[in-house]
Amino acid sequence: MRAEDLDEKFPVVKIDSDALDAVRLLAEHRLNGLVVVTDTSEAPYAVLPASQVVRFIVPGYVLDDPGLASVMTESMADHAAEKLKGRTIRDMLPKQRQHIPVAKADDTIIEVAEVMARLRSPLVAVVKDGRLHGVITASRLLAAALKE
Amino acid sequence: MNLFHAIYAATVFVVAYALITTERFNKTMVALAGATLMFFLPVVNSHEVFYSEDTGIDWDVIFLLLGMMIIVSVVRQTGVFEYIAIWAAKRSKGSPLRIMILLILVTAVGSAFLDNVTTVLLIAPVTLLVCERLAVSSAPFLIGEAFAANIGGAATLVGDPTSIIIGTGAHLSFISFITNMGPAVLMVLAVLLLLLPRLFPGAFNVDPERVADVMALDESEAISDRKLLIQCGVVLLVVFAGFVAHKEIHMEPSLVAMAGAGILVLISGLDREFYLSSVEWETLLFFAGLFIMVGALVRTGVINNLAHAASHATRGNEWVTVMLILGVSFLFSGFVNNVPYAATMTPIVGQFIPTIHGHASSDVLWWALILGTVLGGNLTAVGASANVVVVGIAQRSGSPVSFWDFTKRGAVVTAISFVISLGYLWVRYFVLT
Repeated sequence: MRAEDLDEKFPVVKIDSDALDAVRLLAEHRLNGLVVVTDTSEAPYAVLPASQVVRFIVPGYVLDDPGLASVMTESMADHAAEKLKGRTIRDMLPKQRQHIPVAKADDTIIEVAEVMARLRSPLVAVVKDGRLHGVITASRLLAAALKE
Repeated sequence: MNLFHAIYAATVFVVAYALITTERFNKTMVALAGATLMFFLPVVNSHEVFYSEDTGIDWDVIFLLLGMMIIVSVVRQTGVFEYIAIWAAKRSKGSPLRIMILLILVTAVGSAFLDNVTTVLLIAPVTLLVCERLAVSSAPFLIGEAFAANIGGAATLVGDPTSIIIGTGAHLSFISFITNMGPAVLMVLAVLLLLLPRLFPGAFNVDPERVADVMALDESEAISDRKLLIQCGVVLLVVFAGFVAHKEIHMEPSLVAMAGAGILVLISGLDREFYLSSVEWETLLFFAGLFIMVGALVRTGVINNLAHAASHATRGNEWVTVMLILGVSFLFSGFVNNVPYAATMTPIVGQFIPTIHGHASSDVLWWALILGTVLGGNLTAVGASANVVVVGIAQRSGSPVSFWDFTKRGAVVTAISFVISLGYLWVRYFVLT
């Protein structure tokens, strides 16, 4: 089985789109990540794992001193997502561009799994003719591997 | 040793010092490279580096720092620092000025017994949390805490790396240190607190509704391990009792700190990644490299010549010497890393003291050196490591502090510190003695 046989349609977000909208997309469809594209190219620019977004709702001072998470009250914690107001997807990406978890359309399951494992990404974007063809999630990959 | 050795050692030292000051290179690499260059010719040999009290690495300093770093690593696992800071913020009933005053006092007391950078790293996250709750800029609070950390560091023998270097090199006792430096530090701190509204106008306006958010913080949740907290409390008491009585029990502070660190590691049962988490190996290596370079200057007679030149300039007059040391130290420490300055000046002042006429109260030169070196760090944003750290934290938290923002306030605090220090030294050691 090749990557193009395995991939599926997946929500794609523009790099300068609203961060809160992206979070809603992740939450409503229970996704474990999003593929990010730019205005100028149809190729994937980055993959934003949900865990990276979760990190963004944690205040910086709590990341520096994890003990402070417990002193905050329930109401303070419930408003954690407000930190994302006015931010864009670009703000949530690492400052230095990372390797993109990308597979070619004719890659095998092992090749896709290798990219996923090496980059610790919950999903891999499949590219054909320089354009995003679809996305393979970890669960989809494992299901395919079991069938074989 | 001939003139060529002296010129070679002085050149290596000056170039290394300049490179460290520019901060464009890793300071540990520079110090170690400078130390290595001293092995050529050779300027110093292994015996002089490792075993000589005059020219070698000051192991008391290295192990006192290491011991305190391990103790801090264990104590910070308890959450007690967060508890105290939040407790203090809540006692202020939400008044931003009172919050700043209490956080500054907590920082000053903390930094009197812990390394300054460690103290601001512990207090800054709580400050950011409280400021976010109050919807006020955290920058004034962080700047105030950097000032307090530097001021508090001058109070005790273990308060600041420069205090450790000078105090250990001068064989000053913990009690002697705190009784001579404590009053000056308290005066400077009191004036800093009085100055806060003028230093940070407009920083204390807050919506009363936001105050409830601070009062809702639950400090008791910060204590993560009560058993460890009690263990740390007992060991810390023993360690500070050991510092106070180190002359009587014939144990240098370095051994007291290492013993306390060893006991804490043993009884806490923490893994290595926790009990070594605050140990800065690079800093320890930096100190070792510096000591080797300064030792080479001692060995080649450069330090002795500098001491004689200074003695000639001041004609052995104690008051003139105090003013010279204090003034130069304040100025130097405000612009360059004060650790190499302290490492260089300690042997110079050591050789300078016997040249003072009737040097009965010659410890005053050490007090002038300590006050100038530690308090001078408040002058600019790069004057002390704590300043650099808070500027970085402020930047990351979205309340950037420019070099000028810091320096215009630092200059006021430093000028007042200088006047208070000069007056204190004059009254206590020249008028009342």
